[in-house]
Amino acid sequence: MDQTKTPGYRKIKQWLKANGRRPFKFQEDAWQYYLNGYSGLVNAPTGFGKTFSLFLAVAIEALNESASSNAKNKDRLQLIWITPLRSLAKDIARAMRETLLEIGLDWQVGVRNGDTSQAEKLQQKKSMPEILLITPESLHLLLAQKGTSTIFKKLKCIVADEWHELLGSKRGVLVELAVSRIKGIQGGANNRLLRVWGISATIGNIEEALEVLEPNDQVKRIIVRADLEKKIKIKSILPDDDETLPWAGHLGLKLAYKLLPIIKKSKTTLIFINTRGQSEIWYQHLLNIEPDLAGQIAIHHGSVDFELRNWIEDALHTGQLKAVIATSSLDLGVDFKPVDTVVQVGSPKGVARFLQRAGRSGHSPHEVSKIYFLPTHALELVEAAAIKEAARNNDIESREPYIMVFDTLIQYLVTLAIGDGFDDKIIYEEIKNTYAFKLILPEEWNWVMQFITSGGDSLSAYNEFKKVVKDEDGLWKVKSRQLAMRHRLHIGTIVSDAMLKVKFISGGYVGMIEEYFVTRLKAGDNFRLAGRVLEFIQVKDMTVMVRNSKQKNAISPSWNGGRLPLSSNLGAVLRKKYNEALDKTHLDEELDAIYPLFLLQEQRSHVPRNDELLIELINNKEGYHFFAYPFEGRLVHEVLAALVAYRLSKLLPISFSIAMNDYGFELLSETEIPMDESIAYEVFSPKNLTEDITSSINATEMARRKFRDIACISGLVFQGYPGKYVANKHLQSSAGLFFNVFSDYDKHNLLLRQAYDEVFYQQLEEPRLAAALERIQNGAIIITQPKSFTPLSFPIKVDSLRENMSSEELEQRIARMKAESEKIK
Amino acid sequence: MTITSQGEELILDKERALYLPKHQLLAISDLHLGKSAHFRQAGLQVPATIGLSDLHRLSLLIEKYNPKTLLINGDMFHHGLNTDIQIFAKWRAQYDQVRFLLVKGNHDKLTNADYESMQIEIHEPSFCLGPFCFIHDAPKNVKEELYPISGHIHPGVAIVGKAKQRLKFPCFYFGKDYAVLPAFSLFTGLYNIYPKVNERIFAVTPKNVLEV
Repeated sequence: MDQTKTPGYRKIKQWLKANGRRPFKFQEDAWQYYLNGYSGLVNAPTGFGKTFSLFLAVAIEALNESASSNAKNKDRLQLIWITPLRSLAKDIARAMRETLLEIGLDWQVGVRNGDTSQAEKLQQKKSMPEILLITPESLHLLLAQKGTSTIFKKLKCIVADEWHELLGSKRGVLVELAVSRIKGIQGGANNRLLRVWGISATIGNIEEALEVLEPNDQVKRIIVRADLEKKIKIKSILPDDDETLPWAGHLGLKLAYKLLPIIKKSKTTLIFINTRGQSEIWYQHLLNIEPDLAGQIAIHHGSVDFELRNWIEDALHTGQLKAVIATSSLDLGVDFKPVDTVVQVGSPKGVARFLQRAGRSGHSPHEVSKIYFLPTHALELVEAAAIKEAARNNDIESREPYIMVFDTLIQYLVTLAIGDGFDDKIIYEEIKNTYAFKLILPEEWNWVMQFITSGGDSLSAYNEFKKVVKDEDGLWKVKSRQLAMRHRLHIGTIVSDAMLKVKFISGGYVGMIEEYFVTRLKAGDNFRLAGRVLEFIQVKDMTVMVRNSKQKNAISPSWNGGRLPLSSNLGAVLRKKYNEALDKTHLDEELDAIYPLFLLQEQRSHVPRNDELLIELINNKEGYHFFAYPFEGRLVHEVLAALVAYRLSKLLPISFSIAMNDYGFELLSETEIPMDESIAYEVFSPKNLTEDITSSINATEMARRKFRDIACISGLVFQGYPGKYVANKHLQSSAGLFFNVFSDYDKHNLLLRQAYDEVFYQQLEEPRLAAALERIQNGAIIITQPKSFTPLSFPIKVDSLRENMSSEELEQRIARMKAESEKIK
Repeated sequence: MTITSQGEELILDKERALYLPKHQLLAISDLHLGKSAHFRQAGLQVPATIGLSDLHRLSLLIEKYNPKTLLINGDMFHHGLNTDIQIFAKWRAQYDQVRFLLVKGNHDKLTNADYESMQIEIHEPSFCLGPFCFIHDAPKNVKEELYPISGHIHPGVAIVGKAKQRLKFPCFYFGKDYAVLPAFSLFTGLYNIYPKVNERIFAVTPKNVLEV
């Protein structure tokens, strides 16, 4: 069907024209494909109306059909719009409502997420809106309600907005599973009514992104690409000649004064800081050095209260604020027109994320996005140069989808069981058709079913275990209300510590902080949240009571945000930049600024070239340090460090403490580490790689750490929910304990296997590691013995996250450590 | 490992137990029987083998020391009656000749009839013997001249060495004012304690007990 002949299309064109606009070609393409029954993926830069490419497609079809509205019915839902962030929903809903009003389509737009009020949720249950904006977690919560299967009957389209963002996390799997269920409810694969679309920024594996979202190759699928280019201007904020940047571990505050003129001359500036804790400090610091900014700047992150975040977002729209300090909470597609400048403080660790943040400024088509990069320590300047080059070459990372995540599957099945219940044969077929679980084996499925119904494998069926039981109607259900409530509270795959709400004693919420931080506070202590200094009074009814403090300075809570690893793309460019820096064969001002540091590195040790691996051996009173710099990113280094430590420990009994960053890793031992060129080539050899990696993973804590999230997601460990902490002492345990128990008594536990697989496949990317080792084998290994720490080694040395590896007899090791600690005393 | 406390000989066993040869008494704390079944009842998948292995370890200890009395210093049962406890009751019957004493802890909430049916003698809040007084929680209400031995906190100790190395073990604590036993059950966590001057800590490692 040619859409141009349809009344809906004409109406939309008219409406756009009346507003002085014309659709982009990719938008018209998307409308046409949608009308022809395609599923697909829209790939366009921010600011070009990605939302309208799909929302209007659904609207056109509705206008064409102009069927009588069944406005009171439960099943009038037409479009589900999945957004990864709550803050996105509000703005998209507003834009949709305005448009619907103007084109005269009598549709309701509803929002459903953690911020939605109970009353509104109840209202939706009685009568669903035509369009529902929802997070993946809330969509699963919807599936966990009784009688919800009817609401999807007439659904025409599911859109996964910012799909690239969801794709590389277990939240993406939540989307896959929800889509598979809705398809199932609608009548399986033969159904041509439902179309599944994604909206994605440019990523390295865009075809795969579509494959994940709609794995059925019988369905008509298309990727609609916008042939438009977003212009981005990247500028690094460099120290003046006489200043030097610290080598590691700082917040970049020294350069903060250089932001003031930038903020001044811009309409509105977004300042992205990598962690919530640092953003609080930055907010305070900016006010300290420029008190005139009071009232003109604000702070926005995930732990700031909903009302306050709302106010900030509104103020951003209306241009009342000169600057907002933000974390990833403002990363995605929100369209704040007045924002014309973005500042990134510290390394963004990836090209895609950097470009995404840049896209927050100059949001309108054809406007230039302007982003400043403010380094927090010296070596980040090299990263800046690398990012600029990668951005120029459009060398953008892939987002690897998660597969075979049994924790998420277990959670999903229990979710279905507390809703209308499920038929295991039907659901098995459905999940086999998802990308994440297409490789699931019948015995694995059986194990999962046994795990939730009998509590273990068939050999040890426990009669007291009653989680999911078969009902009279033959469906698997959760009968216990308590269990159902507990499960509802922790649906989702984002694992965080228990959070407590923070409230003024005089009334009004400020935000949330982690429980473990509160336990360290005494009455009268001051801390920072949402840009205020607060005095802690007491914890009452799971709420932290505070009052405004007169103190200027206070501690900032350190929220346990995830640390981002350097992407592999960036690693390769980074190696190249190291080559260029000393040769001065480059045009990067960043590398000029860092030249003195490179000279120092060359003086004390060596600056590694592209085909070299640098090893530094430093001996001081801490012990014997071994540093190596493969530039492969944190995650790969973690595995590589364990591998090298394992191979060294086969040579003699020795214990290591291991640290790493994006550039390299450190092995620290109390005894001298045997090292020369031939040993170096041996420990970095690709031979016996798989076996040695397996052994080294077993010998460290990596799998155990992965298991922490797995235990939470699969419901083994209950962590409570932000602001709704439920204490249940009898059931308290830790993921570590479960890891031990399963390792000792239930070796075939699939969740345990998943922990190892996640290290092996997600973190390690064996081909990448093998390639790195090949590269090292074919290049030169340079071993130096600096007298003191070098610019390269210092940042690793001060890193606090550490692993351990030992081949000493435990008893001997204890005896030695005991002797050492006595000497220290 | 054998130590002397309050003039009496004590044996610290690596299976997280204390033996008083003079009284032929074997003491353990925080057995948490029924914890795995309690978790299962609540829909958390804990293998039952964990409870069985605790009982198996206890059997080996009874065979090793052949005590007249087994004293459980609180938190013998994790919650209510369940299948784990049925298994325990059967297991208990094998050791007719051993007197089972329970000093009640915060988790012990079965009825007196239940304890009786399993031939467990109840003592509340403490059981005193020679210079010692066994009590579950932080020692109060103890006659001042007696040395309290408690449990409850599941003590653990970290050994820190050079080159940022750190190991963590369950431990026995013998301070000036009181002692603490490690939790017997393997399905328990650890609460870190930091020794001060004149306090003795004995780490329980897989192979033996050693003072740190």
